[in-house]
Amino acid sequence: MKKILSRIFLLLLFSFVFFAAQSQQRFPKPEFESGYEQPTPTTPEPRSAGMEWADVFVLLAVLSMASWLAIKKRSRKGMIWLSLFTLIYFGFYREGCICSIGSIQNVALAFFDSGYKLSLTVLAFFLLPLIFALFFGRTFCAGACPLGAIQDLIVINPVSIPSWVRKTLDFFPYVYLGFAILFAATGTDFIICRYDPFVGIFRMNAPYIMILLGVAFLFLGMFFARPYCRVFCPYGVLLNWMSKFSKWHMTISPAECIKCKLCEPSCPFDAIEIPVNEKERTESSVRKNLKRFSFYLVLIPVWILAGGFALSKAHVFLSRANPTVYLAEILITHPELKTDTENLDIQTFLESGKSMQELVEEATLIRNKFRRGGWYLGGFLGLVLGIMIMNQFTMRKQEIYEPHKGNCFSCARCIDYCPVEKKK
Amino acid sequence: MSKKGLSILIVAIIVVIIGIIIIDFIGNNALNRGGNPYEYNVDEYKEVDPSLIHYKETKNIALGDIIPRGMDIFKGDIYITGENFLKVIGIHGVQKLNISLEESGICVLARDEFIIAGLEQEVLIFDHMGKLINSWKPDTETTYITSLAILNNILFVADAGNRRVLKYTTEGNYLGEFEGKSESDDQHGFIIPSPHFDMVVNEFDELWIVNPGKHAIENYNEKGELRGFWASSSMNIEGFTGCCNPAEIAVLSNGSFVTSEKGMVRIKIYSQSGELESVVAAPEKFQEEGTAPDVKVDENDVVYALDFDRKLIRVFEKKLSE
Amino acid sequence: MAENKKLDRRDFIQKGARITLGASLAGIGIAAATKASAEKYVWQIDPFKCTQCGRCATDCVKNPSAVKCVHAYDLCGYCDLCGGYFKPGANKLETGAENQLCPTAAIERRFIEEPYFEFIIDEELCIGCGKCVKGCGAFGNGSLHLQIRHDLCDNCNECAIARVCPSDAISRIPASQAYIIKGNFTETQES
Ligand code: SF4
Ligand code: SF4
Ligand code: SF4
Ligand code: SF4
Repeated sequence: MKKILSRIFLLLLFSFVFFAAQSQQRFPKPEFESGYEQPTPTTPEPRSAGMEWADVFVLLAVLSMASWLAIKKRSRKGMIWLSLFTLIYFGFYREGCICSIGSIQNVALAFFDSGYKLSLTVLAFFLLPLIFALFFGRTFCAGACPLGAIQDLIVINPVSIPSWVRKTLDFFPYVYLGFAILFAATGTDFIICRYDPFVGIFRMNAPYIMILLGVAFLFLGMFFARPYCRVFCPYGVLLNWMSKFSKWHMTISPAECIKCKLCEPSCPFDAIEIPVNEKERTESSVRKNLKRFSFYLVLIPVWILAGGFALSKAHVFLSRANPTVYLAEILITHPELKTDTENLDIQTFLESGKSMQELVEEATLIRNKFRRGGWYLGGFLGLVLGIMIMNQFTMRKQEIYEPHKGNCFSCARCIDYCPVEKKK
Repeated sequence: MSKKGLSILIVAIIVVIIGIIIIDFIGNNALNRGGNPYEYNVDEYKEVDPSLIHYKETKNIALGDIIPRGMDIFKGDIYITGENFLKVIGIHGVQKLNISLEESGICVLARDEFIIAGLEQEVLIFDHMGKLINSWKPDTETTYITSLAILNNILFVADAGNRRVLKYTTEGNYLGEFEGKSESDDQHGFIIPSPHFDMVVNEFDELWIVNPGKHAIENYNEKGELRGFWASSSMNIEGFTGCCNPAEIAVLSNGSFVTSEKGMVRIKIYSQSGELESVVAAPEKFQEEGTAPDVKVDENDVVYALDFDRKLIRVFEKKLSE
Repeated sequence: MAENKKLDRRDFIQKGARITLGASLAGIGIAAATKASAEKYVWQIDPFKCTQCGRCATDCVKNPSAVKCVHAYDLCGYCDLCGGYFKPGANKLETGAENQLCPTAAIERRFIEEPYFEFIIDEELCIGCGKCVKGCGAFGNGSLHLQIRHDLCDNCNECAIARVCPSDAISRIPASQAYIIKGNFTETQES
């Protein structure tokens, strides 16, 4: 709505400015007698749309390759080479843009702003890895994601951190995803792109704070493997869902698992499920667990309501992230700022000829979007939290060593550890 | 380091990273993004010594929703033209005549017998009832008419597009033209980088033409021969600045010039020989990087400025104390 | 037997979930595809809205910025006293650095013939600060203006300058018409 309003407004303004400009443009330039030839301004072409499609095909090829390497060829070595290619192509050559992670925002914005032009190539980048994950697991993470690749290649001494910490951290990607969609859908910001820690490395150029973040992530990544993937990546949430129900996920053992435990330490991401001791499963413990499980199941609607309520209450605060809302707010609460000649945003607004009322109307519309968005986001996060807590009390039945289909990146490290021979 | 220690370190780093992101996200807003390190600063030249300002704004007339382009003051009435109209407004803002034009009028000149309007490429002559009496077009495509003046029954038409002044009888018969080239080397012909090229005839029947590219005001005789000029180039209040100023001029009854500049908009008064006498309106009265107001003077030496940016006719009168 | 049943049930759930997820993906894909366009979009500055705030120089993810000054020669007055070339108050109209407005001396002044001068932007040096654009717009004809140069721009998903542009001057335009050059602009509009 903001876009539409501002567009109408700008159209009006523009038609006026344009007229003025046009009349000036008809003013003839001097007639030169010395045979001077007037140059025309150069307009270097952007990368062609064809090349964008080429990127889509490269992605498709890399995804197929990664899936083949993980499931059929079962080769970690191949995967390393593939990640290197991805790092060079999507990372350093394409400078980390366009990427599937960021494409979430484009898709979200396209749904909420009818004026937004979503590129088909971007949509392809959004969909392809998810489709692959639905069939082959997160092979995108293993081989086709430049962010994954750079982190995967610097894993030096991964430590396994306590499971309760891990599970708590698991919640964060949902928060990131939720906020990224909220900010994208309200036309406020693309936070995934803005805080992409590795894009600065790919471009060898970034603002100071992003360099700091990039270095922090790389340092962290030496001990805590793939920190971005595990604690931040919002696209990972979607991939996780898909992969959990994937049709042909890679397995550690080429045949029957013999429970030799050899693969147990191989996964730097703690993604291997360890068989549970059936003896612990006593009658009373089952009953106790079931009781708790049902209790937390019933509690889920409460979480949803509480979350929705809390975030919709916070919408005033959240909406300040939107520049229009923030500008309107500071102008109302601090009218004296209008005389602050150093403040570009305020001065530009005052000179734009736009009235305060228009600005406030625009801001109110956006703020209302935030109120509604707050309900959805809060409800979603409440639901996720509720399910996460509830899941603590499911009786997992695990008999063999196998990757956790949701969390496993299909990196194929564990395969080399399994002593079982492939059946001929 | 122990495993536990490492875990704590890891969690701590994650928390710090999240913290940095949140702080950066919240902190980067309209309140603390800071000013422009590459500001184009002309503030120091905008200051005008208040003792130089001998005029004060006594009233103004809002023009409403039209796009004005040029103005004349004649016998207490305001003649104003612009995007597709020519209007006559009484001094109190009452509309007396409204002629709609097919194209935009750029300049207007009123006399007892007629009203002359200059379009970009056409001259129109109306009677005071609004009836079209005569019209003609100069013959070149690049014509861009910016100003009109009458001296000894010759109509001078400033053609900024071709950097020349055309001469006609008031019936539209072509009498000749001149480009302001002088014999001596010290002055060049008209240099007109933008569509601002103004002329004025004073009480002593002298035709003065602005040579904006030279920051000069030049006196020509009817034949188009340069008889004298003065120029003043400076960012300071004493001179004209930018590529092409003054954009508009008018004359007071004693022959002093009222000049109006674009870019750093200011209206000043110069003596016949080019000394700064006083300031009518300082830049602070106008929009930054604004368009030069059209200036005209009535028989009581009151200065009228047509402020294009604010769509106002602003009236400046001499302060009584001076 | 019981074991088998359990497996069947698990399979069934898996399959059901997979189909649901697949269907929702397809749904999102199709819905989004109706809003998508095959055209490529790039970021560009609308010179008629830009107010030369300086952020084009400071906020681009590239350093120096992918924004450069472009000269629409068609509009240029070829002034001796170029408002975009000389510092305010420069009293000597000479090419000495102390008289130049551009912080990186990226503008070259070339004599053509009395009284005309040509002004050429050296894009290697220009940092897109817009100072000259302001000067040219105020005192000259407004022939200098800022444009995102697509040989330099990374076409970020969200342009870092667009986010902070106080005039809302940066938006996405079709790559087939990737520039809004002031002079050419009217040409294309009229033709
Ligand atoms: S393939 Fe999966 S389970 Fe195996 S090491 Fe990689 S992430 Fe861990
Ligand atoms: S940020 Fe916007 S207003 Fe500022 S210089 Fe760039 S385009 Fe112009
Ligand atoms: S003044 Fe700024 S925008 Fe203009 S040429 Fe120099 S660096 Fe480029
Ligand atoms: S899209 Fe990126 S590279 Fe291009 S101008 Fe904007 S910030 Fe700079």
